[in-house]
Formats: sequence, C-alpha cells, structure tokens
Amino acid sequence: MTKPDLSVKIGPLNLKNPVMTASGTCGYGLELKKFCPPEELGAVITKGVSLTPWPGNQTPRMAESASGLINAIGLENMGVEAFVAKALPALKATGATVGANILGHSPEEYGALSKRLSLTDIDFLEVNVSCPNVACGGLAMGATPEGVAEVTAAVRENRGDKPFIIKLTPQTADIVAVALAAEREGATAVSLINTIPAMAVDLNRRRPVLANVTGGLSGPAVKPVALRQVWQCASNLKIPVVGLGGIFSARDALEFILVGATAVEIGTATLTDPAAPVKIIEGLRQWMLKEGLDDLDQLRGSLKI
Amino acid sequence: MNTGIEPVICEGVIMVNRALSGDTFLMTIDCPEAAALAAPGRFVKVRSWAAPEEGGAPLLDRPFSIHHTAGSTLSLLYRVVGPGTALLSRSPAGSAVRVSGPFGRGLADVMEKPAPLYLAGGGIGLAPMRLAMNWAGPDNCLLFYGERSGAVQVDENWLKGWAGDFAAVTEDGSGYGRPGLVTAPLEEALAREPRPIFTCGPTPMLAAVSSLGQKYGVPVWASVEAGMACGFGVCLTCSLPLADGGRFRVCQEGPVVDGASVKWELVRS
Repeated sequence: MTKPDLSVKIGPLNLKNPVMTASGTCGYGLELKKFCPPEELGAVITKGVSLTPWPGNQTPRMAESASGLINAIGLENMGVEAFVAKALPALKATGATVGANILGHSPEEYGALSKRLSLTDIDFLEVNVSCPNVACGGLAMGATPEGVAEVTAAVRENRGDKPFIIKLTPQTADIVAVALAAEREGATAVSLINTIPAMAVDLNRRRPVLANVTGGLSGPAVKPVALRQVWQCASNLKIPVVGLGGIFSARDALEFILVGATAVEIGTATLTDPAAPVKIIEGLRQWMLKEGLDDLDQLRGSLKI
Repeated sequence: MNTGIEPVICEGVIMVNRALSGDTFLMTIDCPEAAALAAPGRFVKVRSWAAPEEGGAPLLDRPFSIHHTAGSTLSLLYRVVGPGTALLSRSPAGSAVRVSGPFGRGLADVMEKPAPLYLAGGGIGLAPMRLAMNWAGPDNCLLFYGERSGAVQVDENWLKGWAGDFAAVTEDGSGYGRPGLVTAPLEEALAREPRPIFTCGPTPMLAAVSSLGQKYGVPVWASVEAGMACGFGVCLTCSLPLADGGRFRVCQEGPVVDGASVKWELVRS
C-alpha cells in the first residue's frame, strides 16, 4: 500500500479513501465527472431514490443565509426502476464505489427499496430517515429511537448482504439514543448530520422565501453542530460513524476524523465547487505527508479532552 | 437534451465595471476559456470574493446571462439586488473573478437557425438581448425594453449604441419611451408582422409574452431564472414545472425554453 494509506473500512466495505459525496449534491455521479471523477472518491452516494418518481416541491427551493444554504427540494427523483436501469449501470461502469440513498414514507417502503436494490450491484445503501422537506417522510421516523429502529429493521431484513448506513437528523432529543437504536438493529454504520430544519422570510413581501415555507440548512454554518453530534455518536457507538455537515476543506474533514468519524461526506461544498471532493482527498494526503501519518487510524478519535 | 458543451471553471480579470444607471452595471471580464464558449442565452456563474473554504461570503457564486462577447472577454449586464451583486459592483478593474460556465441551452440550441426576431427584455432581462441580436443579425431584430421607472433605465445612448432603434416603456411613464407595459408595443408589432420572440424578464412578463406568442402563432423563446446553487444539474434547486406535468432544470434544459411549455402559474419569483 502506498503511503500515506487513505483507505478506510465501514464494516465489510473497503473504501479507497474516506471522502464520499453527500446525497443530493452530485446527482447520479456522472454530471460532475469532468471536475470530480467518481472513481477517485471513497464512494459516490447518489441522489435519494424512492419506489416511484417524486416531483419534489415548487420553487423557490433555496435561500442563502449567513454561511449557509437552506433548501427544500422535496426529494425530486427518477424513482428506483429508472435508477437501476439507467443511472446505476452508467455510474458503476466508471469503476466507482456506489451507495444508493433511499427514502420512503413507511418502513414497508424502505424494505421494498432495500429488496429491489439488493438485487443490483450497488455497493451499499444509505437510508435517509432525516429529510426535513417532505410532508410525511423521513424526519418523523428519524427523530426517535423507536422510529429509527423500525426503519433499520425493515432495511436489515430486506437488504440481502448489502451494507447499510442510517442517515440521521440532528433534530432529535438525544442523538446518541437514536444512533444506538440503529446500531442495535444491525446498521452497518450511521451518517450524520442531515440538514437542520430552518426557514427564511422575505420582509418586504411578508412571506416565506421558500415555496415549501421551511427547508433544511446546510453549509459552513452547520459544521459546529455536526462536529458535536459526530463526536457524541463516535464516543458512544461501536459501529462506524460517517460525518457530514459543512465540510469545505481537508482541514474540516480532518476535524471530523479527529473527533471519531470513520469517513466523511461532502455536500454543499460540491455545489460551490464541483472539484471540492477531489481537492479534499488531495488535501488529506498532503496533510498526512506533512504530519508523518501512515494511515487515518493514527488520527481517528484522538481528540484530547 | 444537453448541449454537449462542457463548462469550464477559470480565473478571469475584470477589465471594466461601470454603472449604466443607479443600480445597473456593465462588467467586462477577460476570461478566454469561458468567452470562447459563450452563446446567446447561455449563462455563467461569477465570484469576485473569497472562496467559502477561505471564509468568503456569500456562499454561492452568482449566475448571470452573458450580455456580450468580444475577443477573449465576456460582458455581464447586472443589477445590484443583494449582497453578492453589491460585492461584484464594488470590484475594481484589474481584480480577479472566478468564472464558471457557460451553462445551459441558449437560443442557438433551441432555434434551428438565426431568423428575424423580436427581443423583449424586462428590467435586467435586457442582459441577454445583445448577444441574441448579434446572433440573429442586428438588422433582423427589434428590441422592446421595459422598466418599472426611469430611475432604473440604462443609459439611453449606450443602449442605442448596440440596439439601434428600439421601443422603450416604463410602467410609471417616468423615463424615456412611452408609459405602460412592454407587451403593448410588442403586440402592436406582432399585429403588423408576426415574428418569433426571444424574451427575458420577470415571470409575469414571460407568461404574458408567451400568451401573446400563442395569440399570434409565433414561438416564444423565454430565458427563465430561478434560485440556483450548482449550475451543473445536480442540486435541483432550479427545477421548474412544465405544462405537461414534468419539470426542467433551468441550468441544463434551460435557461432558454419554449414559453408555451412552462406552467407559469406555478412559477414564483
């Protein structure tokens, strides 16, 4: 193995480096290939797919805030059958490691999606139980240990041998209790944080900026919130924790690994610079060389309290 | 669907950045790579402030129609409406900007070949009209330029310099041209001689011009806008509704679309 070794393991899953794209920020993996070759990433996590195509919300779907972005896309997507027939084979043909983000309205839908995708050559699943932008979707199930346990069990029973990551919302009474529920029900790993429920208003027009009224906040503004919750979970779980939330640089990514993250996801940064994920991978390598680290285990969880 | 043209991300240098009215500016950027791919109706994203990973704010680059190209430069006509455009307006000649693009489908991607056109620009929707006029041929085009008031109209002599004869209106009658909405002189022209229309401006105007197109049996090519984060078709913030129930991404299938295909009543500005 060449030094430094950036590879990481998430359960049975071997990733060549710890940098993945966050769902919804890199489409189905090929749109950004000129700037961000999917095969160079730890993994591509694709736009969330549901059993049938979803139209999403009306526009405006985004508002900018200080160091942040509030979005309310509403999970517009092509549906799992189009994903399996078209998007997935094209992305897999690049040699990329691919995780499919899935979303549903009920444990049954998550189970059906897991079963369908277990029959493909997808590398792993990421289960979105945390989107704030759909009426009866993920967030309601993702906010409590009981809800997360139910969805986790439905995926576990139907995913065949696919590893699966439960993606958590920061909007819980006790993030560790929710993450432990996923661990108890057999999740391979958890990822956090999804966006933070938020809103923007237009004072002049006296109305919300977003057509959906509320949305989810991402970007540098949420990084401290994410860092704390990743630290809490990594300190209390046995399964790997994937950190995301406002990671814009290699330094940001290293901070998440320092507090215990096994891997990271890059989201909003990719929307401002499509090359952000590959720049962060190179930045990790340079930092490890400078610090004389052979692998990321030497940094992971080494925070001195 | 896609143009097949890969956008570039490059460093440009501001050559000119000057006011044409109180809040409307003309910026010329030397950026050979992006300028080489410029086409009427296509757009670029621009950032004159520090990158987000360096603490720069606002977070997102700002999208603008390409107004004009000459040699290795492209020009933007923009209006100060928020913190991003305010920063841009204060960027002096000689300073660096990041330019991404061009993005999207332009006029040449939706029309088979140049043809005589009416150009209808409302407010800062004037921006893409110059490149469209150059493409279709200045002698083949007549520009209709509407503004809310005289205070925001661009300099009349500057406009004459590239648009030749044009029809201007202001909603409140306070500027040059006649009072009223831009659709009034446009409809008079359509009644005399129907021609395809290229239009850009506020949503109610695009909807009204699209209705005129149907009334007079001419195509309306509308350059639409929406809040946008990525420009590459991945974030879906700019997805707008189609009359057939589908949706399109302004940054990929747009920004220039058949006005009759859009479900305007669901598009909120």
